[in-house]
Parts: sequence; C-alpha cells; structure tokens
Amino acid sequence: MSTEFEHLLEDALRPIEPPETLSGRLEQTFTSVSQAAADELSAWVDELEESELASLREPRNWVRPVVAGVAGGVATGALVVFEARRRGRRSRRRIRSAASGFRPRI
Amino acid sequence: MSTEAEVPAPAAPDSPAKAELDKAFSDLYRAHLRDVYSYAYYRVGNHHDAEDLTEQAFLQAYRHFERARRESDGRPLRPWLIRIAHNLASNYHRDRSRRPQTPLENADPIPARHGTEAVVEGREELRSVIENLDSLPVDRREALIMRFALGMDNREIARALGRTDGATKVLIHRAIKQLQEQMEGDGDEH
Repeated sequence: MSTEFEHLLEDALRPIEPPETLSGRLEQTFTSVSQAAADELSAWVDELEESELASLREPRNWVRPVVAGVAGGVATGALVVFEARRRGRRSRRRIRSAASGFRPRI
Repeated sequence: MSTEAEVPAPAAPDSPAKAELDKAFSDLYRAHLRDVYSYAYYRVGNHHDAEDLTEQAFLQAYRHFERARRESDGRPLRPWLIRIAHNLASNYHRDRSRRPQTPLENADPIPARHGTEAVVEGREELRSVIENLDSLPVDRREALIMRFALGMDNREIARALGRTDGATKVLIHRAIKQLQEQMEGDGDEH
C-alpha cells in the first residue's frame, strides 16, 4: 500500500473546523436540557408522592384486597370440606372390609 | 435475583455527582466537537446539515452519557460518539432517499456536494480523491473518513463500526486499494 497515496488521502480529508456559532449554540442547548431535566425530575417526584397518597386514600382501591381475602377464605374452606369428606369415605371403606372378614361362610 | 444493587442510581439534579457528570461531558464535547463535525460534514456534504447532525449527535450522547461512561470502563468515548453520528447520518440518507422529489421548477439550488472547492483549495488531485470517495461503498468510505479525517486507529474504527479489528484492517486496506485503482483509471482516461 503506497504511503504516498495515504499522504494524499490525509491531505484531501482534512478535518473540518466547526463554525464558532455551533459551539455556543450547543453549550446553550446542553444547559437548557440539563435544567429542563432537573425541573422535570423534581416535578415528577412531587407528583409521584401525591399520587401514591391519593391512591391509599381512595376507597375504590380497598375493594380489591377485600375481594382477594374473601376468595382466599372460600378456597381454603372448600379444601377443608373436600379433605374431610375424603377421610370419611376412607374410614367407612375400612369398617366395611373389616366387617366382611367376620361374615360366616355358608 | 435483583440487579438494582449493581446499577448505580442516576445522579440527582443539583448533586455534586451531576455537576461532575456535566463537567465530564463538557470536556468530552470540547475534545471531540471537531471530530464529530468533520465526520458529519464528510457524510452529508454541507455545513447546514452537518451542524444539525452534530447537534443531534451530542444531544443523544448527553442523554446516555452516564451509562456510556460506566460501561466504557475507562476506554475512550470517541468511537461511541462517532457511532452515534454514523447512525444519524444513515437515518439522514434514508430519509432523503424516501422524500418525494420536488418538481424542478420549484426546486431550490442544491448545495454543492462536499463543498469540494473550499476543502481542497483547487488542487485537482485532491478534488479527485473526494469525488472518487463518493463512489465507494458506504462502509469503505466511512472507514477512510475515520482514518484520515479523524485520525482514528484500527481499534477505534472497529469499535465505531461494530466490527472486529481484523475485519476493520481488511476493510481499510480494500478501501484504499479501490480508491487508488479508481483514481488510476480516471488518470488513464484523461
């Protein structure tokens, strides 16, 4: 690869100086973006705290936990009844088979 | 498992950490404004769009600077900046190609591609380099801009283009070879 050709490329592709106005404009943009972000963040934090408190005070939001509790209670009750019936059936079977052992043969 | 403990919270506004971050960004911006601008200029070919593209690139960089600094692990951030400019330039060219053509009678004068005269100050050979550069495939053209206009080394170019060091070396070699052959072909024609 020719070094001479690379020198030609370096010469042709010289860095381009940005206009002076661009630098000032960019600095101004960064300052305003930074300030806007800071303002936005504080406003957002305030809003978040207020909305959380409002959410706790709202009675409509109490319904869900109550419904969840009732549904859980019903499901537990159903399980207890089912288990009790299953045990009852098993003990009746055991008594029946014990009784059949004593039945006199004809 | 939570990853919250591994990711530092963003710097709060008006905190010393934020001030330090802004100072670091300001240093980065001052150090690389010319690089990003040069890259943008050689990609879009006029000062107006190059200014817009540079501004957008630094704004994007500003938004993600905290994370980039954390993840760069002390490595230079110039390839990251140039990569942002590269993506924006690709969007710029894609948008231009989709834009409906303006009827000729309503068209404004088109700015001279690359402002060649101003850049090469009339030297025919240098003008020919710029013109032939335009006909190279985009990745080869970009690699040459990064190498010769920005003075980036192979590793930096590889990071900016998202390629391996080896692939980048080959890319630059082929780009120079193709450009040289094209220019020799032009010379033979005259």
